[in-house]
Amino acid sequence: MSFEEVFDVIVIGGGHAGCEAASASARLGSSTALVTMNLDLIGQMSCNPAIGGIAKGHLVREIDALGGIMGRVADRTGIHFRLLNRSRGPAVQSPRAQSDRAQYRKEMRLTLENTPGLHLRQGTVVDLIFDQNEIKGVELLDGRELGARSVVIATGTFLNGQIHTGPKSYSAGRAGEPASIELAEALKRLGLPVGRLKTGTPPRLDGRMIDWAAFQVQHPDKEAVPFSFGTDEIQQKQLDCYLGYTTTEVHDLIRANLKSSPLYSGKITGVGPRYCPSIEDKVVKFAGKNRHQLFLEPEGHDTNEVYLNGFSTSLPAEVQQDLVRLVPGLGNSKIIRPGYAIEYDFVDPRELGPDLQTRRFRGLYHAGQINGTTGYEEAACQGLIAGINAALSTQGRKRFRVRRDQSYIGVLIADLISQGVDEPYRVFTSRAENRLTLRFDNADVRLRPLGRELGLVENRDWDRYEARKDRTSRLRRIIKETRVRRSDASYAAASLAVGADLGESISLEQLSKRAGVGADLINSLLPEPLELTGIRDIQTVLADVLYEGYIENQKVQTERLHHHDALRIPDEYDFRGLGGLSSEMIERLERAQPGTFGDARRILGMTNAGLTALLVNLTVANTAS
Amino acid sequence: MDTIVALSTAPGRSAIGVIRISGPRTVKIVKMLVGDQELTLKPGQVVVRNLEPAGETVALDQAVLSYFAAPHSYTGEDVIEISCHGSPVILRQVIDRLVMFGGRLAEPGEFTLRALGNGKLNLSQAIAVRDLISARSDAAAKQAVRQLKGELSLRMGRTKERLIHAIVILESALEFVEDDLPAVEKEKLLDTLREIAQELSGLAQTFEVGHLLRDGLRVTIAGRPNVGKSSLFNALVRSDRAIVTDIPGTTRDSLTESISVNGFPVTLTDTAGLRESSDQIERLGVGRTHQAIADADLVLLIVDGSLPIEQRDLEPNSNGAKRLVVRNKMDLPSFRRAVMDQASSETMIDVSAMTGAGLDALRAAIIASFGNSDAADSGLLITDARQHDLLRRAAAEVKSSVVILQQGHSEELIVLGLNNALRLIGDITGETTNEDILTEIFSTFCIGK
Repeated sequence: MSFEEVFDVIVIGGGHAGCEAASASARLGSSTALVTMNLDLIGQMSCNPAIGGIAKGHLVREIDALGGIMGRVADRTGIHFRLLNRSRGPAVQSPRAQSDRAQYRKEMRLTLENTPGLHLRQGTVVDLIFDQNEIKGVELLDGRELGARSVVIATGTFLNGQIHTGPKSYSAGRAGEPASIELAEALKRLGLPVGRLKTGTPPRLDGRMIDWAAFQVQHPDKEAVPFSFGTDEIQQKQLDCYLGYTTTEVHDLIRANLKSSPLYSGKITGVGPRYCPSIEDKVVKFAGKNRHQLFLEPEGHDTNEVYLNGFSTSLPAEVQQDLVRLVPGLGNSKIIRPGYAIEYDFVDPRELGPDLQTRRFRGLYHAGQINGTTGYEEAACQGLIAGINAALSTQGRKRFRVRRDQSYIGVLIADLISQGVDEPYRVFTSRAENRLTLRFDNADVRLRPLGRELGLVENRDWDRYEARKDRTSRLRRIIKETRVRRSDASYAAASLAVGADLGESISLEQLSKRAGVGADLINSLLPEPLELTGIRDIQTVLADVLYEGYIENQKVQTERLHHHDALRIPDEYDFRGLGGLSSEMIERLERAQPGTFGDARRILGMTNAGLTALLVNLTVANTAS
Repeated sequence: MDTIVALSTAPGRSAIGVIRISGPRTVKIVKMLVGDQELTLKPGQVVVRNLEPAGETVALDQAVLSYFAAPHSYTGEDVIEISCHGSPVILRQVIDRLVMFGGRLAEPGEFTLRALGNGKLNLSQAIAVRDLISARSDAAAKQAVRQLKGELSLRMGRTKERLIHAIVILESALEFVEDDLPAVEKEKLLDTLREIAQELSGLAQTFEVGHLLRDGLRVTIAGRPNVGKSSLFNALVRSDRAIVTDIPGTTRDSLTESISVNGFPVTLTDTAGLRESSDQIERLGVGRTHQAIADADLVLLIVDGSLPIEQRDLEPNSNGAKRLVVRNKMDLPSFRRAVMDQASSETMIDVSAMTGAGLDALRAAIIASFGNSDAADSGLLITDARQHDLLRRAAAEVKSSVVILQQGHSEELIVLGLNNALRLIGDITGETTNEDILTEIFSTFCIGK
């Protein structure tokens, strides 16, 4: 094989997964090429111009803690920051920010261009080159061949992408960009199981013709909570968002036009995400609801384009225009980009190991929507893990994985590779068994040391981490030792916040466990109250204190629930001889050779039915006949 | 999947013996056993055939074949039940042939396992099968059948639905903060959670009676010498099991029989009369009496109702076990009702071991002392210790959520106990995954910013 150029790692695709993968791989010291169809669209946000949200914000923090780049880029380009769930517990709070779409792209490209060992190449990959089952490189549309020992496929919605608006449909990867058809065919030729998913996006409006007064303004947080542990303050000027509602007139017109919606005409067969339904779906499935929320989100500082969040649709463009005009405040508005639905191929992620490498092809990694996920953050974290492992394997280093009790990234990957997907997969906090442990604010405690060990965390960030650790442990001690006494001037305020008498005296630690007590109150009771970063430290300490008991209790519960774990499985146990086990379960058991029921329970991909059959066989079967 | 064979009735000589064969090759193997490749079997149809495999000179037996086609069978596979004559020799020969023709001897519990694997049974039903097979009385068998029918899962199913709904409300409030969802109504949620806790602990409490159905009731007959303990024992056992004379101290050793009292399995123990004795053997017997009292769930303290009752007649105390005072010999003219100025409110039953009078009342009282006397026929009872434990803990978890909700904490803490409860009852009702909860959220609320 004569390659035009040879790299250690090639990343196909310049979206959120591709960017993280390429950046991590290069920074780990592997020569890396990022091959993308259009270098000007690196880091493009295909859908809503926002990063973060419940659980997604956790992912960004985790990416950052491991040494990824998304958090930093989002901090530099965010124009409307909010911490969601502020009124709830710290484990379910999460940062979210509207981004300046164009700036995000620019900033991401700049970040990659300035990464030593990272080479950007424009081109369309049409095939993969193998020697036996080992990847050797990729072939481009113009006939060039690039060599690599690892290849990460991060092609997003481009794999066999098909866009639908009304009765029209055409091949595309995103609006205005060609789909990746040859590569999709190449994957099918490899025998990888390919399925079809669908997602959609709403129309974008010309902001000059919106009657903003008809909408409810949503201000950003006064003190923005950044994504990156390396960011002290957000520099971008912050903008407002606006909230409005559809009306029954809008719903009636949608119903009247359903036959021209590819979703309802049977044209679209791919499965869409239930948590991000089109406006058609909302109106049909929740017919009793007479209004649906709409968010007007600015696309950036240097544009009048406005994103109409909540109005994802694949109705014909002219119908979209009529619909939008029926929304109060949008009577004169013009659509500048119509919404559309897109169907694309994905590869069953059960083909992958925890390092996101395909089990069948050495050196081939999949990240992002190709694995059936949705969302920039979900894509980025997979890109990071795939990029890290693609590089590690070329360096002969041990593969890297994060566990599900340790991170949302671990939850996401474990879910994907063991359960597969039947709709675009999004992360939720309820997917994590250890939700209370996996907070956005302690992602550094959970993952920084791992990122450092890998070599992705620079000295400056590591020093910051260690300094913060020192501060929080000191604070922890102070909060434990400081008491508020009835004779103190501050006692009344503390008692008022709790809404009860606090006894003769109470430690700040005990006080902080009561509902209604926040970091600000505790800060005011400290011997020396702290500034902003100090308050963030207090929040972390208080969250630790609040959840400690629950986490411990949960551990005990889980152990009790799994009290069968100690059941011994005899050596050379004949799993094939068990009734009720599918051949897939038998294979997994035989591969893992579990010594106890607990080992079996933890095997990736064991179904509950499989485990029940095993358990019954180990216990009940001895007495029944 | 291979095809498995086993004798389904108890081994040993009997009128008939049923051999069961299950698996994809069932019909093929049975055709070979019958020696007739043209044999046609219709599901649900019963046919009589000589078992005369090709090459055999004499038929092994004449048998009744019942065919259950997949998936409408116990295991969910093709099943044929072969009812042979109950000679161990015949049965062994038939099983040998079935194995020769491609069957395999089933491991213990394998039919049930296959049923489980094919979704014909859930875990609580599998446990019920075990209970049914080892049931020692009618009532116990009845309970096992009810559980096998899935009645427990069904009843739990309603509680589980309510639990899931509460979780859905809390989780969606957490996950979809920007969606236009109805606010969580605290008071309503509190009421729901309290009711769920009540349902769970109510069901858990039935174990008090339910476990007796499985484990049986240990009842010890005790009392002074010559009050008629052994006569009563014989009357309850319905045979002259114990030697009865009018010589005090006839019973030297404890004697135990398994009987069924109103449907409950009871292990009844007759003991040596309690008195000081210089006889070494009798002293050993009295020692055993004390042991039997200590081991009992219920002590029947027998007194002679024809004589004035003294304090020592009412000793010893039963040591925590329940006790019924039984006044015997009501057939004698000197028997007097309510002779004692007994301060205690202890239940007393008047009987005559001689005539059988009062025995029905005694049987009812034995069962009643463990709760609902209609237990054998009324509501669903928890008979399995593990299920009882799961329910009890699930109730406690829901109660802990009630407290956290009352204290004004955030949803992620309230939902902890509810999720634990859901996982605990998962063994009974089938597991609920995070994905199920999400599905429920999406069908309940319009989500999607």
